[in-house]
Amino acid sequence: MFGLIGHLTNLEQAQTVARDLGYSGLADQDLEFWCSAPPQTVDNITVTSVTGQTIEGRYVESCFLPEMLANRRIKAATRKIVNAMAHAQKIGLDITALGGFSSIVFENFNLNQIQRIRNITLDFKRFTTGNTHTAYIICRQVEQAAPKLGIELSKATVAVVGATGDIGSAVCRWLNTKTDVADMILVARDRARLQALQEELGRGKVMGLEEALPHADIVVWVASLPKGIEIDFDSLKKPCLTIDGGYPKNLDSKLKHPGVYVLKGGIVEHSLDIDWRIMKLVNMDVPTRQMFACFAESMLLEFEKWYTNFSWGRNQISVEKMQAIGDVSIKHGFKPLLSIVES
Amino acid sequence: MPQLEATPTIDYQSDTYKDAYSRINAIVIEGENEAYDNFVKLAEMLPENKDELISLAKMERRHAKGFQACGRNLEVTPDMDFAREFFSKLHGNFEKAAEEDDIVTCLVIQALIIECFAISAYNIYIPVADDFARKITEGVVKDEYTHLNYGEEWLKANFDDVKERIETANRENLPLVWKMLNQVENDARVLNMEKEELIEDFTIAYGEALANVGFNTRETVRMLTHGLRSAA
Repeated sequence: MFGLIGHLTNLEQAQTVARDLGYSGLADQDLEFWCSAPPQTVDNITVTSVTGQTIEGRYVESCFLPEMLANRRIKAATRKIVNAMAHAQKIGLDITALGGFSSIVFENFNLNQIQRIRNITLDFKRFTTGNTHTAYIICRQVEQAAPKLGIELSKATVAVVGATGDIGSAVCRWLNTKTDVADMILVARDRARLQALQEELGRGKVMGLEEALPHADIVVWVASLPKGIEIDFDSLKKPCLTIDGGYPKNLDSKLKHPGVYVLKGGIVEHSLDIDWRIMKLVNMDVPTRQMFACFAESMLLEFEKWYTNFSWGRNQISVEKMQAIGDVSIKHGFKPLLSIVES
Repeated sequence: MPQLEATPTIDYQSDTYKDAYSRINAIVIEGENEAYDNFVKLAEMLPENKDELISLAKMERRHAKGFQACGRNLEVTPDMDFAREFFSKLHGNFEKAAEEDDIVTCLVIQALIIECFAISAYNIYIPVADDFARKITEGVVKDEYTHLNYGEEWLKANFDDVKERIETANRENLPLVWKMLNQVENDARVLNMEKEELIEDFTIAYGEALANVGFNTRETVRMLTHGLRSAA
């Protein structure tokens, strides 16, 4: 059985979702309450592959809210994640994806040091960040969406914002070895890590964000930012494909500009309807079929019975592993989201 | 991204620590003593399970002795008057239920609420306890899971008949737990135990217990939040 550990995007949404799911007692509670709330299994999921294989899963709501980080309720935030993991293990889930902030909080606060939770010793092999599949899907989005806008990869410059992160570095590796992309620009804060990545790739220009944007035909956003940033759309090339795979979204999606195309990054569409309720409540356009690629990774690992922490630790994602997860992604009927919106 | 604060060093010999410990230690000793009395009473009410319940009661007596040793180790005199007052309402509700031969309410109070309260508090305490108390508490917490399990199994076996009664007992007694937590919030903080952490661990343990008994997720959340609202 696979699992997904998820959370909601803010307190207001959490209250609405609680009401919609029939948890009336939770609907009028404040952040203080959510800081003490226990993890809950809120959905049973059935997924059928295009091969005909069917798997079962559980959705675990961690009760983490991003406001906990913003309000420096760090201990509460970290407890949410490890408690949700202990819950997932206790209910017998074989492989569980850490969605949204869960993996970010886990990595950032080194929660691998907290292995003992009450009477449970966490078995990290049962968990995956899902980042390998996310990185693979973002790369496929680059490869498949660009030609639709008349952008030829062999002549295109791709800027990766958040290039040194777990997903960003994987995207760079794939683009470097699997595509004939003309040029790459690496954007990140840490100079030392940028240099190391540049050396590993054997190419790529290091630039600041403002300097990079006017050169890019394609911008991949995978930075870990506390909130969306505003950019100068006038400075972008036209056309420009921007793939926003950050969590939370790196771009303010309300901004409009002709010639700038936005694609939701790291989202997959399944070929068959999935029986679940939770995605209807988390703002997916086609909730029976669309989901975060990191969640889909735990489904793929369950389909293949690869009960191991396929994506784990920082900057461990190889092109071979991306190819492996990509192959089973196609086999079971997942496709990268390609609905491009002119921003 | 903000950073996680380092755990502060605790001076177990400071007057502030010992003062707070005199009440927390007393609560733990009194809790174990009352648990002994409660299991002895339950053994009278459930003669078919007498031997098992008496053996559970004896464990509680051993725990009380262990915690008395923890107090002596830090040269702290437990404030037993405070502790008896602290438990008086919950104790009163147990006594009343026992007089009415209301086994369900007695089990909800002792085997679910008090045991979950103990398990969560002990689990939060272990990482911040002095070395002597840590060893004692680690041994105790293992036993408490057995006590919780007894209550779960009995209530589960009779679930259809006793479901409503459990909900009523929950409604009447859970708010007392929240009030008790509020009462010791400051002392617990001196021991480096945060209230929100205690509540979270209690809700996890109690929520799991209710699920094991037979309640679904929605019912469990409703029962937990009811307690919280009533205490506000």
